Amino acid sequence: MIRVLIAIFFLLPFLLVGCGSQSTTSQCEYCHAGLELASDTHQNCIDCHGGDETLTDKKAAHASMYGPRNPSAPKFWEKTCGKCHQYQLDRVRSNLMLTNTGFIKNIRLTWEGGEEYLYATQDQKLYDAQGNPVEHHSVLKLRNLAGELYRKYCSLCHVGMESHRSWKASHASGCAACHFPFNENGTYQGNDLAMKNKWPHSASHQMEPLPTNEVCFRCHNRSGRIALSYQGMNDGNNGLVPVNNGFPGPELISGARNVTHIQGDIHFDKGMDCIDCHTSRDVMGDGYAYENMYQQTEVACEDCHGSGDEGPRYEVVERENHDAVRESRNYQRQVKTGDKLVLTSKGRPYSNVFYQDGKIVVVGKRDGQEHISKQIAATPEHTIVGHERMECYACHSAAVPQCFGCHTQYDQSQKGMDFVRGRETRGKFSETEDYRSLYPFSLALDQRGKIAPMTPGCQTFVTVLDRRGNVQKEEYVANFRGKQQLRFAPFYSHNTALKAVSCRECHADPAFLGFGQHVVAGQSVESTLICEKSDELPLDGFMVMKQGEVQSFSAVVREHSRPLNEHEVRRALMVNQCLVCHDDPKDAIYQQALDYDQIDRCLQRVTPDR
Amino acid sequence: MTRLTVAFSALLLIVSVTPVLAAPCQQCHEVTVSGVHQGIACQECHGAQGNLGNPGIADNRGLGCVECHADTGMIFSHAMSRRTAEQEFCQRSWGRADTTFYATNCQQCHVASCADCHGSGHAMTTPDTHRCQTCHQGYFVGWDFSGRAPREDSVRYQRGPRSHDQYYLKMRPDVHAEAGLDCSDCHTMASFLDGKVSAKSCRDCHDVNPDIIEHGIAAHLENMECVSCHASWAAQEYATYYVETINSSNRAYFRVKPTGNERYVKSSYLKRQDLPPLGVNEEGRVAPIRPQFQAYYSKVVDNQPQGEENQRLASEWKVFTPHTIRRGTALCDQCHGNARRFILEPLEQRIYRPDRDGLGIDSLWRAEGQRVVNGSFMPPARFERMSQKTPEYSRGYVKKWQDFLKKDAASSKP
Repeated sequence: MIRVLIAIFFLLPFLLVGCGSQSTTSQCEYCHAGLELASDTHQNCIDCHGGDETLTDKKAAHASMYGPRNPSAPKFWEKTCGKCHQYQLDRVRSNLMLTNTGFIKNIRLTWEGGEEYLYATQDQKLYDAQGNPVEHHSVLKLRNLAGELYRKYCSLCHVGMESHRSWKASHASGCAACHFPFNENGTYQGNDLAMKNKWPHSASHQMEPLPTNEVCFRCHNRSGRIALSYQGMNDGNNGLVPVNNGFPGPELISGARNVTHIQGDIHFDKGMDCIDCHTSRDVMGDGYAYENMYQQTEVACEDCHGSGDEGPRYEVVERENHDAVRESRNYQRQVKTGDKLVLTSKGRPYSNVFYQDGKIVVVGKRDGQEHISKQIAATPEHTIVGHERMECYACHSAAVPQCFGCHTQYDQSQKGMDFVRGRETRGKFSETEDYRSLYPFSLALDQRGKIAPMTPGCQTFVTVLDRRGNVQKEEYVANFRGKQQLRFAPFYSHNTALKAVSCRECHADPAFLGFGQHVVAGQSVESTLICEKSDELPLDGFMVMKQGEVQSFSAVVREHSRPLNEHEVRRALMVNQCLVCHDDPKDAIYQQALDYDQIDRCLQRVTPDR
Repeated sequence: MTRLTVAFSALLLIVSVTPVLAAPCQQCHEVTVSGVHQGIACQECHGAQGNLGNPGIADNRGLGCVECHADTGMIFSHAMSRRTAEQEFCQRSWGRADTTFYATNCQQCHVASCADCHGSGHAMTTPDTHRCQTCHQGYFVGWDFSGRAPREDSVRYQRGPRSHDQYYLKMRPDVHAEAGLDCSDCHTMASFLDGKVSAKSCRDCHDVNPDIIEHGIAAHLENMECVSCHASWAAQEYATYYVETINSSNRAYFRVKPTGNERYVKSSYLKRQDLPPLGVNEEGRVAPIRPQFQAYYSKVVDNQPQGEENQRLASEWKVFTPHTIRRGTALCDQCHGNARRFILEPLEQRIYRPDRDGLGIDSLWRAEGQRVVNGSFMPPARFERMSQKTPEYSRGYVKKWQDFLKKDAASSKP
């Protein structure tokens, strides 16, 4: 063993040559004078780009290039980035952001898109977290509406595919999607005059090992809109005002949408980036194939803040080749042996969250800023009986973007761009919507069986026109779990607030239980925003109460999830009888199960004027 | 030509000297009069000389109609014809930026003839709700009676059912509309002529049932309009933008519904269709209020902004009566202790940040820098007073929840 290590040690300089050999005079540098080095360790052009650096004829020199623009595109990445970064490449291959397995699976649920196989962006054989082989079929084989929708709408936000026609939402494909960021309109702005202002290119040729929030924003600005909410932005419920320099404003983003401002996430306001919470395994995968992003994601609030009954866990770095040491190489603060690293919900160490002096310290990966994480274990407001079933963000979300009524039309009399095939094919999608809201939001059980915020996911009404433009399906609601119903989905909005939704705000407003906006008459809750398909059912909720009978009519997607049942709804509402006087969450009466008979005794007691 | 004139004069002479003769009119005019005017000769309305082509128009103060319907001519001095309040608003807001604003954007809706309301051509009728909503649609009270709320201006929201050439968001209609009542059942001609908004108010038809917990609270009946509790929702438009575009292709980027003229683009910052905020009306009673309008203006000439962009020209609210009445109401906490509902949102509880978008106000639900034109915002002290959890309040509150949940033993078990 020792002999092997010694051999590797001596071979090291030679092994690294492939990635970092210094070339003296290359034709590349002559034409691209001023071009930034990708990094100190990526000095040689042809190692990444291929091509022939000895030829002066542009065409001939470029002929054998990988690209020519982007050597990290999946087409080439085994010969380029993956040549040196095999471990990262293997992880990315299983990554949901590349396979889009979860994405496609959820679209199929919404569009009755068959349940026979798992589909992904390409045919692939991977392994799940239990080590079982998983076969993915190419989405090209998904010959139904779900496949069409993915290929013509959703596939643009796929790290395997370049997107270069969206304002503030364009990105390269492959590794460069995150590590060579585009600017708003995807033009090169570096010092190579041969490339200056050319499009589509990353803004600079300097590699970005640690992606900024803007990088995440390029894709995560639609649907859940987490990159927007996190940074205190909101799109929708707006008609492109206020004006900004004669154009619609205040800020335009892809798809002729504009963003206005809302309260940002507390973590953002404190200066934390997306990557400060999300580990590289969250965003690049951990080598295993998952079917939904919540399975791949390993960060949880409790990791840093503790839960009601338990503080964060940590482990001591004992080896120099610990993953976190390697990962933190480009951080402001590197991990070293002896550091105590806090563990994620999956029990793996963060590379930037330390246990030190009895405190949990999150260190900004890019800026080195230290953030002390508040601990909640054993505080009375976090040990309320019944609340152990709640996700932290059920109370600590300032706003939850909710998009009600998604009306999608598929018109086969027109052609639409199939981004996966790279050409136009028959059938064009278009979309309109009904109403958006940020607050209040509804709660139901999520995949962990905990009470979590919900957002429509989805309320899709599908209209299909045939080749002659005749309506085949009109405002069709797809089957889900055996019946035609709309769907809500558990959702962490990424708009976390220090101040929680107050007890009375939540308990005394049935909208939080899923009734939508409403009035109360006798023992009935009457919705006021109504689904077009019904005269009774809310569009912004999934519950109705008629003469005291509670009924839910929409589904909550994901395993173990469901709306609250009648018993739970009544229990949540009954607390109001206590809350009217005991409105402090720290009140000791909430440390035990409530005795409602006590209220009658309270009422009969003569209360002195306050 | 001379011969023609002579012939024409002769014809006129014949017409003018001939007494009531219906048949000759109909020889040329294929007209059938239906309704209550069926048996009346043409000249009764069109003038003895046949000189009233349009007998009900404002230009002659409805001469052809008022002969029989004495006093109705005053409708042309009524708010629906003169729209003094609207003109005054325009004058002090957008009119400051563009003196032709009112003529360009607000001319469409006004009563210019008796026939505007009372039927088309020769079928004179009492106006039905649909007819009233020809003007009272969109953001104007009236559409809401039928469960229609205005949609966002962006084309992305222009979908769904339509009425009066506009898409609407489907909401729960007014209980009176559900029962088959028309606008005219409360808003009679007589009430207009008296200068009143309505012939009937809630309590002309409804007795207060003191057994209902909320009705048993004296302060509620003394201090509040019925509609403050019984309006189930209200259209609210926060920050209304008019962008004047002259010779500017930028206009195409505003993907919003058309305004009906080539010059202006209209849009808004946020529309909500939930419980209306509450303020105080001129009688000192709590009543629903809404922005009407928070007026902003920009001008773009040759694709370049002219002067200050997003100029704030008014931040006005109005006490109003949503026509979205339901038997049910919001629960106690929607008012008591709910500062946002009374335009007293604490800064730390803001969700929307209009200050960051250059609206010149810190919160959409804070009174600072805004005013109510026909009343006032809730004074903070009064809000504090009504939010006190007195023993009576607590008792009523618990009883309310017990009634709502019909306290049963099973639910009280953990």
